[in-house]
Amino acid sequence: MAAKDSPLKQFEIDPISNIELGGYNISFTNSSFAMLITVLVITLFLTLTVNTRSIIPSRMQLISELMYNFIAQLLSDTVGDNGKKYFPFVFSLFMFVLIGNMVGMIPYQFTFTSHIIVTFALAAVVFIGVTILGFINHGIKFFTFFYIPGVPFYMHPLLIPIEVISYLSRPISLSVRLFANMLAGHTLLKVFAGFVVSMPFFTGVFPLAFIVALTGLEILIAFLQAYVFAILTCLYINDAYHLH
Amino acid sequence: MPQLNPEFFVSQLFWLAVFFTFLFVFLWRVSLPRIATVLEKRQNKIDENLSSAKELQEQAMEIEKKINDQINKAKLETDEKIKETINALQENVTSQLSSLDKDLEKKVSDAEKEILKSKDDQMKNINNEIVNITKLTVGKITDIEFSDNELNKVIETHKGNFN
Repeated sequence: MAAKDSPLKQFEIDPISNIELGGYNISFTNSSFAMLITVLVITLFLTLTVNTRSIIPSRMQLISELMYNFIAQLLSDTVGDNGKKYFPFVFSLFMFVLIGNMVGMIPYQFTFTSHIIVTFALAAVVFIGVTILGFINHGIKFFTFFYIPGVPFYMHPLLIPIEVISYLSRPISLSVRLFANMLAGHTLLKVFAGFVVSMPFFTGVFPLAFIVALTGLEILIAFLQAYVFAILTCLYINDAYHLH
Repeated sequence: MPQLNPEFFVSQLFWLAVFFTFLFVFLWRVSLPRIATVLEKRQNKIDENLSSAKELQEQAMEIEKKINDQINKAKLETDEKIKETINALQENVTSQLSSLDKDLEKKVSDAEKEILKSKDDQMKNINNEIVNITKLTVGKITDIEFSDNELNKVIETHKGNFN
């Protein structure tokens, strides 16, 4: 398959303006542009819809409030009262991933959440933050997190390395989950879009219909992955408060 | 796969850090407090309305209790009044009846007295008539004149035989 028609071509990064800082290439790219749009959409929406601060909300204000309550509820269900401090962070994370995914659903628009480096950076922030939080809350006792009580003593040499590995793989699983979902979804859409063009006569409507259905599914996945990212973050924060 | 090309890793991380930090700070400092104030304001309003509704309900219950008390009081008063009236009427009736009885008794006794009197009078008259008739009869038959007193004496002695 020619590189021009590759379904992976959509993930290529094109610099819009070349910037260099301290020897590093920090060009403003189509990925950065997508992030800019995402941030603008979130900030403008959440600011303008709540501008009137009316007690009886408009429909748009209601959407903002629903999002707020959705994450607030999620955080209080998983972490409890301790979680209130982390609400702005979890909310930002959720909105950033959600709107990033949604912006990616616009045709010809770049999806920055389909880049492992972006999702890994987000996951790493969560992982490092949660680990620091664990040490702040429990000090050296945080290591007992890897010790599972109520298990026969001879199992510990086996279980403790497993627990450590599972803890260390958290950022990987968190980032790869989002990245792989976005990558697979967009690749599949592109592959079927290729079929629409290459199939003879009117038979192209079948893959087209499939794309329509798949787009709906992708929008669902876009929301679902943002939700999963947020809820896992909440669960990790909870782990930093409550050891086994 | 373009994702594994490290050429733009630094650029991606840099812009991610810039935009995500901006987003986080903006939401934390501006957007979320706004939404929180709105939600709080609404909750306060709801609480206020609920408490005032509760207060009004309590007031309504108090008023209802007062009304019931008044109704009960009025009922008791009415019962009392009815009883009093019945008693008064009964007393009135008994007193009137007794006075009527007295009147009647008096009238009856008066009438009895009258009757006795007239009976006596009649008896006297009868005596006189008997005397007269006897005088006339005796005079016609025998030409003997008796005085009234003599005749009376004779009649008195025979009075038991007439009746």
